[in-house]
Amino acid sequence: MNKNVLKVAKFEIIRQLKKPAFWAATLLIPLFIGLVYFISFISASSVDTDVHFDENTKIAITDEAGILTPGMPYVIDGDREHGKEMVKNGEVDLYFYIPADFAENKKAEFYHISEGLEIFNTDGNILKVILTQNSAARVNELDVLALTGNYEVVDNKLAKDGADSNALGKAIIPFFIGIVFFMFIALCGNRFLLTVVEEKENRISEMILTSISAKHLIVGKIIAMLALGLVQIAALVIPILLLVFAKSGDSFIAPILSTIEVDPVSITLNIILFAASAVLYAGVCTFVGSLVSTARDASSFIGPAIIFMVFPLYFMQMFMVEPNLIVQVFTYFPLSAPVALMLRNGFGTISTPEFCIGIAVVAVSAVIVIRLATKTFQKNAINFNIVKPKFLKRSGFKKK
Amino acid sequence: MKNMVEVKNFRMDFNDKTVIRDLSFEVKKGEIFGLLGANGSGKTTTMRALLGFYHPTSGELLVDGKKYTPEDSKVTIGYLPEERGLYRKETVIDTMVYFGNLKGLNDPLSWSLKYLERVGLSDKINEKIEKLSSGQQQKIQLGITIMNDPKLLILDEPTKGFDPMNRRLLMEIIEELHKKGTSIIMITHYMDEVERLCDRALLLKDGVVRAYGTIAEIKKEFGGKSLDQIFVDVYGDSNE
Repeated sequence: MNKNVLKVAKFEIIRQLKKPAFWAATLLIPLFIGLVYFISFISASSVDTDVHFDENTKIAITDEAGILTPGMPYVIDGDREHGKEMVKNGEVDLYFYIPADFAENKKAEFYHISEGLEIFNTDGNILKVILTQNSAARVNELDVLALTGNYEVVDNKLAKDGADSNALGKAIIPFFIGIVFFMFIALCGNRFLLTVVEEKENRISEMILTSISAKHLIVGKIIAMLALGLVQIAALVIPILLLVFAKSGDSFIAPILSTIEVDPVSITLNIILFAASAVLYAGVCTFVGSLVSTARDASSFIGPAIIFMVFPLYFMQMFMVEPNLIVQVFTYFPLSAPVALMLRNGFGTISTPEFCIGIAVVAVSAVIVIRLATKTFQKNAINFNIVKPKFLKRSGFKKK
Repeated sequence: MKNMVEVKNFRMDFNDKTVIRDLSFEVKKGEIFGLLGANGSGKTTTMRALLGFYHPTSGELLVDGKKYTPEDSKVTIGYLPEERGLYRKETVIDTMVYFGNLKGLNDPLSWSLKYLERVGLSDKINEKIEKLSSGQQQKIQLGITIMNDPKLLILDEPTKGFDPMNRRLLMEIIEELHKKGTSIIMITHYMDEVERLCDRALLLKDGVVRAYGTIAEIKKEFGGKSLDQIFVDVYGDSNE
């Protein structure tokens, strides 16, 4: 690699790393994730979600439905009015009334002295605990399991050819890479634009281009911004992965992790697609940056480019089934290709050869766009006013 | 090759407007050459075309016999453009070291420190560029321009915005480089600077040469008048 490219990349990386704003943007999301996790952890440990009541809680139940075992300590002979009276007199803290039509209407009532604005009073769950414990004592373990539904039904899908089909397991890694790509766009887009625009905004391009070529300058800047983007993505993804693996025994996460299908070829292709897409996006941003002369001008151009890139998301349902013409167009149109390929790969509606062709389209487009950006920057390096491309001139585009 | 710069039949059109018409001149190796003319006469355009920022409509612009590109040229060039700027958020020393690296200096840090001391900015080493006055920023730009010991130095209105002290400093630096054999092209409106420093000069008006030669030859051609008077005479025509 050319020495000047590395010199530019080094300078750009160091100057960005020195900026507090870079670290704020890099660490803000992981810190936020950590904070949310910490708060949920504290909340989980301080709030006991199990329904329980201490021995001092005085309870009375009128069981008109006859659901409870005769002789249970809380059951009283009195009717509902008697129970309410007991609450009023302070003889009991909680009074439960199970009506005779409980099995039919599935409704019971509970009474207690209100302590002000109680929106979420969970004391009613105490009756559920009492009923469950009472019933469990009368039936065997299998019946309890069958009645409570506290068991897992493992999903074993078959593909059309009868082989095991693990659509979810195959989709997790492609979709994860897709999400990372969106994070990359969100975090780095502005920087790609500004790093090129600042050369013109600061009126420095004329001086710098007598020392190095536009190609080396642009490529150096792209390398630096990609490297910084990877740092930010790593700062974001690594804590998430650590959190997932720390919680790998969790009843929600464990089944998902166990389904993940690790196919080295697929992972490699996905990483290549991510890299090519990131470079293409960098190329588009630098091209826009090289076309205009201020960050303000750039923002009005980059919007449509980003819309093109995320456009396939609006047609997501089409990507779940056999691809039609629109899906094929999105797959091979350079700007929409990254997201379209990620979606189709995730939904398993693209063959490996097609996927490879799509990656090649993205990679070749990235190279072309960067070459275009270089030439445009060289041409417009000393154009300190907005450049009006011919098609905009024809359509009456006015200089701001 | 005796000439550092050769401009042959250079014509430059922007859309329908012709800015330079059939311009030809040479800058000899080791000389100080004055490129003179009023605003909009085509001086900066000529230098930008020489450095490859503009593609000439026709003609040739050569540096040491070849079209200039930063990666291919063996001639080190220092260019102080008319439109000046620096990375405003960076420190003085970081900016200078970066440019020094790009220009291939072995030890850009030492060179920069020495230069900053010479121009009285050694206390501003870690200051951000945006905190400096415009005159101080110009000194940094001048330092960057000359740091690679250029064989060809192009200064576009170098004293613009300089106070008399800094003008004197700049003249000293130009003279030093001249003694080292650097070819210098100076674009300026100050005729006293031209008379004092330049070996030869060219006066442009509307992209056409109005005077070209040694200072003595130009004066002789205009009846022994001062350069100031010649300038007024040439541009006075258009006001009549």
